[in-house]
Amino acid sequence: MLTMNNVSKVYRTNTVETHALREFSLTVEEGEFVSVTGPSGSGKTTFLNIAGLLEDLTSGTYELDGRDISKLSDKERSNVRNQKIGFIFQSFNLIPELNIFDNVDVPLRYRGFKADERKRRIEEAIEMVGLGSRMSHLPAQLSGGQQQRVAIARALAGEPRFLLADEPTGNLDSHMANSVLDLLDTINEAGTTIIMVTHELSLADRAKRNIFVRDGQVSDSAPELHLASLAAG
Amino acid sequence: MEIGPIWRAMLQSKGGYILIALQIAVTMAIMVNAIAIMQERSIKMARPSGVDEVNMFSLVSVGFKPDMDEKALIREDLDQLRNLPGIIDVVATNSHPLRQGGWSEGLHREPGVGKSVSSSAIYFVDEHGLDAFGVNLVDGKNFAPEEVSWDSDSDDFWPATVIITQALAEDLFPDHEGSYVGKEFWFNDDNPANIVGVVERLQAPWPTWTGVERSMLVPLRRESEYVRYVIRTEGGRRDELMPQVEELLSQSNRDRIIRSVSTVEEARKLAYLGDAAMIKILTFVVTLLTAITGLGIVGLASFSVARRTRQIGIRRALGATKPAIVRYFMLENFIVSTVGVVTGGILAIALNIAMVQAFSLTPLAWYVIPIAMVTLWIVGQTAVAGPARKASNISPAIATRST
Amino acid sequence: MFRYYLKLGTLSIRANPILSILMVAAIAIGIGACMSIVTVRHVMSGNPIEHKNDQLFHVQVDNWNPDDPYEDPDGAPEQVTYLDATALFNAGRAFRQTTSFKTSRVVQPSGDDARPFQEESRATTADFFPMFDVPFLFGSGWDRSSDETQEQVVVLARELNEKLFGGEDSIGRTLMLNDEVYRVTGVLDNWNPVPKYYDVNNNPYEAPAQIFLPFSVAIAGNYDNSGNTSCWKPIPDGTGREGFLASECIWIQMWVELQNESARQDYMAFLDAYVEEQKLLGRFPRPLNNHLRTPAEWMEYNEVVDDEVDVLLSLAVLFLVVCLLNTIGLLLAKATRRSKDTSLRRALGASKAELFRQHIIEAGMIGIAGGLLGIVMTWLGLRGIENVFIEYDFIQNLVRMDWSMVMLAVALAVVSALGAALYPIWRTCNITPANHLRLQ
Repeated sequence: MLTMNNVSKVYRTNTVETHALREFSLTVEEGEFVSVTGPSGSGKTTFLNIAGLLEDLTSGTYELDGRDISKLSDKERSNVRNQKIGFIFQSFNLIPELNIFDNVDVPLRYRGFKADERKRRIEEAIEMVGLGSRMSHLPAQLSGGQQQRVAIARALAGEPRFLLADEPTGNLDSHMANSVLDLLDTINEAGTTIIMVTHELSLADRAKRNIFVRDGQVSDSAPELHLASLAAG
Repeated sequence: MEIGPIWRAMLQSKGGYILIALQIAVTMAIMVNAIAIMQERSIKMARPSGVDEVNMFSLVSVGFKPDMDEKALIREDLDQLRNLPGIIDVVATNSHPLRQGGWSEGLHREPGVGKSVSSSAIYFVDEHGLDAFGVNLVDGKNFAPEEVSWDSDSDDFWPATVIITQALAEDLFPDHEGSYVGKEFWFNDDNPANIVGVVERLQAPWPTWTGVERSMLVPLRRESEYVRYVIRTEGGRRDELMPQVEELLSQSNRDRIIRSVSTVEEARKLAYLGDAAMIKILTFVVTLLTAITGLGIVGLASFSVARRTRQIGIRRALGATKPAIVRYFMLENFIVSTVGVVTGGILAIALNIAMVQAFSLTPLAWYVIPIAMVTLWIVGQTAVAGPARKASNISPAIATRST
Repeated sequence: MFRYYLKLGTLSIRANPILSILMVAAIAIGIGACMSIVTVRHVMSGNPIEHKNDQLFHVQVDNWNPDDPYEDPDGAPEQVTYLDATALFNAGRAFRQTTSFKTSRVVQPSGDDARPFQEESRATTADFFPMFDVPFLFGSGWDRSSDETQEQVVVLARELNEKLFGGEDSIGRTLMLNDEVYRVTGVLDNWNPVPKYYDVNNNPYEAPAQIFLPFSVAIAGNYDNSGNTSCWKPIPDGTGREGFLASECIWIQMWVELQNESARQDYMAFLDAYVEEQKLLGRFPRPLNNHLRTPAEWMEYNEVVDDEVDVLLSLAVLFLVVCLLNTIGLLLAKATRRSKDTSLRRALGASKAELFRQHIIEAGMIGIAGGLLGIVMTWLGLRGIENVFIEYDFIQNLVRMDWSMVMLAVALAVVSALGAALYPIWRTCNITPANHLRLQ
C-alpha cells in the first residue's frame, strides 16, 4: 500500500548540513501494524513527519496506493493528509476551545462532507472509542486517556488508509495506556493499517512488525545490539 | 462553512473578540453620525443664493465730514459706476445674501402690530436692483423709476410696492393658487405693501435662518453716511474691476473712505466657514478612526494567530489547505465584524437620536448605516488578511513537536 | 516596593517596545482629539470677569409687543431702549452703572498724506472702565462729569495708540474723528476678554473696540449703532431721529454693579417700580419681566458656546473610547505574552494584590507617557482647528492652551490608562500559574 524508495531528509542552512534521515527504502502492506522505534534524536520524528506529509523529503519517492505523493502541491498534500492519513499525536493535540464533537469534526470539514454525513461519522467514531456520553464536553473536562481516545476517534472518522500514531501512550499512565493500545489492536484487527512511532520497547512489542531508526538510519533488521542499546535508553 | 464550531470556540475566550466587536461598534457609531453631519452640511452649503454670485462684489462708503450731501454723493457714485464699461449694474443697498448681517421685518396680513404671520429679509434697492443682483423675475414686473423714493435714517416709512420671493409669497398666502401679483400685505398699522413682482429665489443674508428663502426688494434709497454698493460685472471681469472701482470712488470724493471691498464669493466662504470646517474636521476624524480600528484589528488578529500557532499546525496536519486556514480567520473576523456592525448600527441610531435632541441636527438618512457597515466589513477583512496569510504559512510539522 | 515596581515597569516597557509605543500612541491620539475640543470649549465658555461675577448685572426690562414675546415663550429683550437706558441711568440707583453701544468712527491721522480709516468704537460711560476692571497702560478713563458735559474725550486701545502715536504716552494729545477733535485721556493695556461678556451680540469672540468715547457725545452726534437694533412698534412718520430715540426700539446694553445681595434686591425692586410707573404712561404692555443677570448667567442665557463645539466634543469622547479599547487589546496581548513571568511570580509567592499593584503602576507609567505625548497631540489638534478656521481672525484667541488644560490632559490620560488596564490586569491576576510553567 505504501512504499518509500531511497528517501532521505537533509536540513540545510547557510552554514550547516544536517542529515536527519539517510537514504532508506520501506514498504508497508495493507492491514499491517508496524512500529517504528528508536531513541530520542534518532530521526523518528522526522520519519513521522515525512510519512505524514508534514514535511518534504529531500530525495527519493513516496508512493501511496500507487500514487507518487512526494512531489505534490501543498493543496494536494493537504488533501492526502485529510483523506488518507489519520494522525494520533503524543500530546493529543485537541483544540481546547472546541468540544469533543467539534474536535472530531475538524478534519471532516476540510473533506467537504454534508452536515448529516459528518454527524453520522462523528457519532460512530465517538461511540467506537466509548465516549458517546461526553460529546459536548471540552477537552479540559476529560482525563488524559479519554482525550487520547477522542484523538483516535478524530483520526478514524475519515476512514483513512492508515493511522499514523506518535507515542500514542506517551502522556498516559500504564492503565490508560493499555486501554488505548487495546483499542488500537481492535482497530487493526478490523483492517486498518497502523504505523506507530515510539521509543518504548513494550509498545513496540505489541506491533506485529518492527522498524528501527538510529542516527538517521532506518532499517528493518533488529540486531540484538540494537535491542540492547534501546533498552539502555 | 464552519460557522458553528468557530462561534462555539469564540465563546470560550470571549474577551478578545468582544473587544474587537466593541471597537467596531463604537467606530461605526461615530462614522455614521459623522457622515450624516457631513452630508447635512454639504447640502446646506450647496444651496444657491439666487444672485449672480461669481460676478458680484460689494463695498462700503463711509462719509466722515459733517453736513455732507449724502443724496448727491450716492447719485454721483451710482452714475459713475453704472457708466463704467464691464459693469452690468450697481445698487446702493443695505446688504446682500450671505453677508450674515442685514434687515429683517415681521409682516402681517391685516393692518396692526399683532403677532406677525411671517417675516422677511429686506433689501433696499432702486429700479436697478434686479439687474445688480442678477435675480430671476418670474412674475410681474420691475419697479419703475418713479416708484423709488428717498428715505433718511430713522423714518419708519415703507413704500407701497414690493417685489418678493416665491418662498415668501407661499408663506404669506399658503392657500393661494395662481399669481401673487397684486396681492397685498401689511408692514404694520398704516403701511400696506402691494406685490408687483415675484422673483424665483433670493436668499436672506443669514444662511442659518429657517426663513432664509424669504426676502423682498423694497424701492427705497436710504440717505446715510454709510452706503453699501453692490456691483455686478460682466462675466470674468470682476477681479479686474474691483480695484479699479475702489480707486475710482476713493479719488472721486475725499470726504469719505471706501472699505470692506469684498466679493460675494468671499462672503459665501465666510458664511459657511463653520460648516466647511466641520466637514474637514470630521473627514479627518473618520479617516483616522478607521485607520486606528483597522490597525487595532491587525494587532489583535496577529496576536490571536500567534496564540493559536499549535492549533493551526494541527489543522494543517489534519488536512487543512492553506486557503482553508485563511478562510477560517477571515470567517472568524467576519462573524466578529458582523456582531460589531450590528451593535454599531444600534449605537449609531441611539447616538443620532441623542444628538438630534441635544443639538437639533437633522436625523440621519437610513442608507448611511449600510454604507458604514460595508465599509467596516471591508476594513475588518482587509485588516485580518495579513495575519490570516501568516497563519496559513505555519508548518504542519508543529503538530508533532513535543512542546 | 514602589520603586521596585517602577523598575519592573520600566523593564517591561523596554522589553515590549513596539507594544508599549503603540499603547502610548493610542492613548495620546485619543487624548489629543478630546483635549483639542475641550480646550476650545474651555476658552469659549470662560468667564474673564469671574472674580467679580457676582457683582455685575446685565439689565433687562420687557417693553416688548403684547401679542408677541421677544423670544418664545417669555424671553425679555436682550437690550434696552434709549428712553429706559437714560431713565434708569439718571436715577443712579446702582453703585456703578454703564450704558453702551457699538459704533464706528473714521480716524483722520495727522499728516497730509495720511489716509483716513475706520475703527470699531464703543460709546459708553465713565463707570465702564472700573466696572469691568479694564487695565490701563497710560492715564485712565474719563470721569462722570465728562459724561454730563459731553466732553469729547477718548480712550484708545493699545494697538491704535501704537498706530497713531507710536506707542508713546499720548495723554492729553488730540485726534480727529469724523472731522471732530477728541482728547485722549487714557490708553488701554492689552485687553482681550474672551468672550466679550459685556456685549455678546454679533460676535463675542472678536477683539474689543479700539476707541472708547462718551455715550452722551455719541447720542448728541447721532452716531450710528453698528450692533443690533430691534423694534416692534413703528416709529411715527416724519419724527426722524427724535422719534427713534423716543421709540420702543432696543439697541443699548446696560450693566450695573451692585456690591451685595441686598443691593441687588434693592435694584430689582427699583426696576419693578420703574416699570409699573411706565405702565401707567401706556408703555410696557407685557407682564412684569425684569432680569438682572451676572456675566456667567448672561453668557449661558445667550448660548455663547456654539452647539457645534459640543457636537465635536461628543464625537471626540467616543473617539477616545475607541483609542482606549485599542489600548485594552494591546494590554491584553502584553499580559498574555508575560504569562510565564506572572506565573513564576505567583509560584514564588506574590499575592494577587501585589501583582495588581505591579501592573497598575506600569499602566500608570504608560498613562503618564501617553499624557505627555497627548499634550503634543493636543497642540497639533489645536493647530489643525486653527488652520481650518483661519479666515476667522479671532480664532487665535480660542486655540490657546493654558496650564489647567495641560494638567487635565495628563490626568485624563492616566485615568484612562488605569481604567483600560483594569480588565487585562484582572485577567493576569487570575491565571492559573500551572498552565504556563510547563510542569512535567
